[in-house]
Amino acid sequence: MLEFSLVNIICVIVNLLILYLIFKKFLFERVDKVLMQRKEEVDEATRAADIATQKALDTKKEYEEKIALADEEKEQILADIKKQGYDEYERIVNDAKKKGEQIITEAKHNAEVENERAKEIYAAQLTDMVIDAASKIAATKHSTQDDRELYDKFINEA
Amino acid sequence: MDIKELLREVLLKDKTFIHLPFGDGKYDIYESVVVMWIIMAIILVVLLILTRDFKVHNISKRQAAIESFVVWIRKIIGGSLGEKGERYTDYIVSVLLFLGAANMIGLLGFIPPTMDINVTAALALMSITLVEVAAIREKGPVGWLKGFAKPMAIVLPMNIMELAIRPLSLCMRLFGNIIGATVIMELIKMVLPVVLPVPFCLYFDIFDGLIQAYVFVFLTSLYINEAVE
Repeated sequence: MLEFSLVNIICVIVNLLILYLIFKKFLFERVDKVLMQRKEEVDEATRAADIATQKALDTKKEYEEKIALADEEKEQILADIKKQGYDEYERIVNDAKKKGEQIITEAKHNAEVENERAKEIYAAQLTDMVIDAASKIAATKHSTQDDRELYDKFINEA
Repeated sequence: MDIKELLREVLLKDKTFIHLPFGDGKYDIYESVVVMWIIMAIILVVLLILTRDFKVHNISKRQAAIESFVVWIRKIIGGSLGEKGERYTDYIVSVLLFLGAANMIGLLGFIPPTMDINVTAALALMSITLVEVAAIREKGPVGWLKGFAKPMAIVLPMNIMELAIRPLSLCMRLFGNIIGATVIMELIKMVLPVVLPVPFCLYFDIFDGLIQAYVFVFLTSLYINEAVE
């Protein structure tokens, strides 16, 4: 058991190398092949997932842009409508103002005419009264006393 | 039968298995080599059965077990080999599995090949060759030679001696442990041939065999790790 034999040592070394090849060929290479394939598949799946995510993000961005555009358009339309509404409002108010002024002017005019007529009536009445008074004075004997009374009466009646 | 006779029988038994007609016994093939062939054949058959029809998806439990075993053992050995020595993992794992099988072949009634010093010597020679090859590949021939004088020039003789001591210790440790286990087992069988040998057989043939295989492989990977650092 204790002597060395070169032939046997060489035999064992050759055996070991063959054994290593057996392990390599039938264990490690087979396992590695499967592991590598699986890794490739996982990588592939990861890449595909990344691409899909990127695509989804792009689409999202696109839609967001579209929505922003729509928002702008909406604002524009709203602003237009508001402006139109304001214009209409202004127009109506202006019309109303004009009408009002016209009415006031007419009313003033009417009032003046009425006033004039009333004045004329007064003047006519006054004339009548003066004539009446004058004829009364002329018809009665009159003193200073009478005159005074008469004046007072006249003034009071006026 | 006394102990002396037993030892003589175990240690000095004629181990020739195939006697070649030339060279006056110089080229005889020993039993250990033949047992190694048997182990190799067993390993080959077992591997072929275990690793047939490997798939990427829907793997069988057998395949899952093999895959996780390979990944696990590579992690352990690769860890002690270090980053630079990782490429030698497969050889080390092969040696580990072979030693595990060789130390346990006694369970099948064969004499463990590691009980023959020629086998352990061959293993140790392979290990030290691998260590030095790894060092030369990593540092180049000049760097390898310079490495003998590190960390100081005074350790040069020690480092050169280590070239011989390391494989010798590897070889003798494995051989001594296995033969020691066998001798103790024989002694126990002499004391009481029934019941008593069972727990010791479990220890020496399975536990101790695996431990010695691991120790051998661990030291080899440690040397490689040191050599490539």
